[in-house]
Amino acid sequence: MPLAKSTADHIKDLAQRYPSKQSAIIPALWAVQHEQGYVTPEAMAEIAEHLGLPASLIEATASFYSMFLTKPEGRHEVVICVNAPCMLRGADEMTAYLGRALGVRDGGTTADGAITWHSTIECLGACGGAPMMQVDHQFEENLTEERIDAIIERLRQPVAVAAPAPAAASERPKRKAPAPRRTRSES
Amino acid sequence: MAAVQTDQVTLTINGQSVTVPKGTLILDAAKKIGIDIPIFCSHPKMAPVAVCRMCLVEVEKLPKLQPACAVYVADGMVVKTTTEQVGKYQKDVLGFLLINHPLDCPICDKGGECPLQDQTYQYGPGASRFDFPKAHFDKSVPLSDKILLDRERCILCWRCTRFSEEISGERELALIQRGTNTIIGTFNDEPAQSNYQGNWTEICPVGALTSRQYRFISRPWDLDRTASICPACSMGCNIQIDARSNRIGRFQSRENVAVDDSWLCDRGRFSFPNFQRQGQERPRVRRNGSLEEVSYEEAIAFTADALKHAGGQVAGWASPADTNEELFLFSRLFREVLKSAHLDHRSGVVADAEPDDIALPIADIERCDQVVVLGGQGVIDAAPVLHLRLFKSERKGVKILKVGVTEGKRALDAIPAEAQAIGILATEADKQAAVDLQAKLAKKVKGSVRRLIVTTGPNGRGAKDLGILPHQGPGYASLNGRAGRGRLQWPGAGVKGLYVHESSPLHGFVPSDAESMWLSTLPLVVFHRFKASPLDEVAHVILPGHAFTEKYGTVTNMEGRVQRIRRGIDAEWVREDWRVLQQVANALGASWAYESVEEITGDLVRELPPYAAVNQEARVLWSEST
Amino acid sequence: MAIKPLVTKDFATENLVQLKVYERTGGYTGYKKALEMQPDALVEEVKKSGLRGRGGAGFPTGNKWSFLPKGVYPRYLVCNADESEPGTFKDRYLIEKSPHQVLEGILIASYAIGCNLAFIYIRGEYLPQHDALETAIAEAREAGYIGKNVFGKGYDIDVILHRGAGAYICGEETALLTSLEGYRGEPRLKPPFPAIKGLYGKPTVVNNVETVVNLPHIVNNGADWFKSIGTPTGAGTRVWCMSGHVNRPGNYEVENGTPIRELIEEHGGGVWKNRKLKAFQPGGASMMVLLPEHLDVGLDFDAIAKAGSLAGAGAMVVMDETTCMVDAARRYVKFFHHESCGKCTPCREGTFWMANIFDAMEAGEAKPADIDLLLEIGYGIDGRSFCPLGDASTWFPRSVIKFFRDEFQQHIAEKGCPFKKQPQEAVA
Repeated sequence: MPLAKSTADHIKDLAQRYPSKQSAIIPALWAVQHEQGYVTPEAMAEIAEHLGLPASLIEATASFYSMFLTKPEGRHEVVICVNAPCMLRGADEMTAYLGRALGVRDGGTTADGAITWHSTIECLGACGGAPMMQVDHQFEENLTEERIDAIIERLRQPVAVAAPAPAAASERPKRKAPAPRRTRSES
Repeated sequence: MAAVQTDQVTLTINGQSVTVPKGTLILDAAKKIGIDIPIFCSHPKMAPVAVCRMCLVEVEKLPKLQPACAVYVADGMVVKTTTEQVGKYQKDVLGFLLINHPLDCPICDKGGECPLQDQTYQYGPGASRFDFPKAHFDKSVPLSDKILLDRERCILCWRCTRFSEEISGERELALIQRGTNTIIGTFNDEPAQSNYQGNWTEICPVGALTSRQYRFISRPWDLDRTASICPACSMGCNIQIDARSNRIGRFQSRENVAVDDSWLCDRGRFSFPNFQRQGQERPRVRRNGSLEEVSYEEAIAFTADALKHAGGQVAGWASPADTNEELFLFSRLFREVLKSAHLDHRSGVVADAEPDDIALPIADIERCDQVVVLGGQGVIDAAPVLHLRLFKSERKGVKILKVGVTEGKRALDAIPAEAQAIGILATEADKQAAVDLQAKLAKKVKGSVRRLIVTTGPNGRGAKDLGILPHQGPGYASLNGRAGRGRLQWPGAGVKGLYVHESSPLHGFVPSDAESMWLSTLPLVVFHRFKASPLDEVAHVILPGHAFTEKYGTVTNMEGRVQRIRRGIDAEWVREDWRVLQQVANALGASWAYESVEEITGDLVRELPPYAAVNQEARVLWSEST
Repeated sequence: MAIKPLVTKDFATENLVQLKVYERTGGYTGYKKALEMQPDALVEEVKKSGLRGRGGAGFPTGNKWSFLPKGVYPRYLVCNADESEPGTFKDRYLIEKSPHQVLEGILIASYAIGCNLAFIYIRGEYLPQHDALETAIAEAREAGYIGKNVFGKGYDIDVILHRGAGAYICGEETALLTSLEGYRGEPRLKPPFPAIKGLYGKPTVVNNVETVVNLPHIVNNGADWFKSIGTPTGAGTRVWCMSGHVNRPGNYEVENGTPIRELIEEHGGGVWKNRKLKAFQPGGASMMVLLPEHLDVGLDFDAIAKAGSLAGAGAMVVMDETTCMVDAARRYVKFFHHESCGKCTPCREGTFWMANIFDAMEAGEAKPADIDLLLEIGYGIDGRSFCPLGDASTWFPRSVIKFFRDEFQQHIAEKGCPFKKQPQEAVA
């Protein structure tokens, strides 16, 4: 699937923004993932073309970073941390509960396509609010079973309802990349 | 002792003092005094990366072990490479490398010449303490039609990916994923296109990248290794012919910094199947329309007889893959014995060869400030390893201008008047354009303008030097109006006999349609060759000869460097080509008495003194200008 | 010791994220003052202040700046906001609460070193914080703090906000630069150091978020004032990220030298559920464990190092008596294995091996010899790896083996985790 013209133009602009066009690779991958939900080889080839770089370089970079997805996922992404600081405050129990509540295993997507969830050992930077998870990159802290239930219910709503933005984000006047990120139909 | 400002530094390694230039790596300083430090990722042609950590050594005053492959020497440095700590660590790092390395050495093509295997024996732990399942990856991934990749064997030394980035610049191979999941590969696993892939197999320190052609062919200890020259083009890359049971297993590179800089192209490396011999063959002569096997004596007598019969109206074509010694005799056979000047080694029309065609040595490309590749990719295709030299030069700051043959003006405009050293590369077919551009540039710029003409065949330059041309004698001598006809004119020149000598299917006599018609009417075709070709059909005599890889002699590369080729394969039942040429000449009344190739070389040098370069495998210098 | 919040002093102010509110609290006066100074004088002032880099290594900031080669331009300032050390969440806090303070610090540092293009590298997971900075940059540009010829002083500055994409290794400064250049975030050989050949091969300074937020205050109040806070070798304050088994986890800014006990007991409200303290980690995932006997050590780079651990990124992970130290170490080891870039052998393979052994411990499949094998693997990695990630992967597990070897033996003898056998409540 070729990139939307707006994405392609954005990538070409990115190439001009940095002292070296190669620096535009990661922002370009973000732009692609924002548009298409994940990054395909075709999209990488297109980035390579727009930036005038070998495609191998795009794949080398894209595959290094854990946040670039290579296959489609649910409309919402839920990532729960199980590193030690979270473990100390009950992350394992919350992770088990999340899995039971969603009815799919770690890494899976709910049958309605609403939610893909996985646990992560990569600290998400909210140990002070552990146990915690990120929902479409927004922080959800001090998790309890009740809170998880409420969040899931919200996410299961039909497409139009996005995750509520946190304070800082709501004040943003103009942002090019609103959540949710994984909705392919948005493009 | 007074302190002297110097570019040399003196350090101590394992108690031995060594003095080396500033900017030398510990690894190289150690090598200089015979101290071997084990390595995997380090490679002399690539920038240090220090990723494998095999070469860590103790350096006094530094708390941590230091990578000898990446740390530069300093005055007074004290290095220890054999301490208990270093030894223990070498066991550790090999232990680490082996936990995810399969134990399939018995079926691995690298076995026996594998740095990982060798160093494990020399420095490694006796047994692994890792008792979990190894990480599994794809094995035998076809990277292209030439190369297989075994991702389990890969130890991620980055040599191949660095080659792709730093040496060929194609950036086809890359690291993908990260951590223990890291693999090497091409974009989206698409087939690799590079013309330099074979080098990956040579620099790979394990059996991860192997040649499909060489798969399961031989164990290294069963190989007979012969130093020779690549038969594919006029670059003259140094090779090693690895043969097993008298069959070629592979061509490997053999470093000559002046020529190949230790690399080969795939066209050359994988050209060896052309030189495999298909069995024994005897000379044949045509009697009553069909070819009959005869002895060499009979065939030679038949040939001499027939040549005599044709009078002076015989033409000779010798391949640009023949040795200088063969060409020397071939030229004498025609000029002195048969009194014919209808000599050629070419397949088409090309401008006259001149000594100035080699004014720019290959290695000097790096020392130019501007190099025009007139004909662009066409020049690279004619001698692919040139690309690696050009890319290396470009990384050192040389400006490379690749322009079409008709776009000389673009290069002329782009080169500033203050340029110091300009090089022009072109194929011999485009020589005239190169000469024209050179003249214009010489007027415009202050500095020198030199050209290097890419000839055809591993000895196209030698054929020109030795006068296998209708209008120039050996050493570019004028024939004073007694020029013969070139190959293209032979069909209409009343020629009554043709003697074709060739030893490489890559540079054989391939007749055009017009020539085919003419050949079928010719009363005499002597075909002295290694491998059968359609020319057999019209030949009256077939004299089996040696292949390029089966003979001893010298060839001259595009820049005029005379290098030795050697017998990688024995084909004793085939009479040496020079001996047959001598016997034909003698049957026609000559009294040559060469007993060895060296004697011919000696005579050749006496006749063409610049060819004394052969003794140093140096370049032939025709005048001050070259 | 008196508590003197410095970088967080205005964090209770409502809408501090907005430029006009930030300005009302004295925001950007440091930058304006700095622009009146000669850059060299500014560097000297910061040198004199004794400010040490807050990223982890504690290198004096002013010295780092002065390593830039004279006359080589362009040069770059990169603000490291790739906070990823498990246990840390302060950059997030500092950005979220006062993005302009971060920006002001960056602008001061940029001016001091003669940089006309600064970068902020923020980890990919911090999307809301990314957006907060993006807004702040737009506001600052609008207000003329960023742009050409700032306030007519002839100084040009632009700031590019660059979002990472999930790689802990990019917190290492050379890996961060490699990543910013678009490559895989693998660390580079040093030398050359970034000050000589950094971003795009140009002289570069990489400063942490927590480091730069101190700069407006140093400029405003002077080096001597700053030096008077904290300890002789550790001027100023530090924001400590407290997590784990305390009653009030969160970020707390305390003066350097404050005893660890005060941080845990007063700020953190002590160990939760009236349990006993078992151990704590003063520097995030990487750092060696300390014991209750170390509670009176001061919060300071040098004091903590003397006690046998490292202050690192300033994260206090507190563990109570119910904590399975083997499992805690297992999580960290698996984290380092997950985050190892794969560039060097010891880290790539060693963390893989350690992770396997820890999983076996947890599953009750480990052998008695595995405890010493872990130490040996650690020895093979530490100091041998290409960058500190590999080294650090071994510190916590080795220190845990040192102090809690019996827990490993229990795991082996009882074929599983002794703590998991206790009632659920104890683990929750």
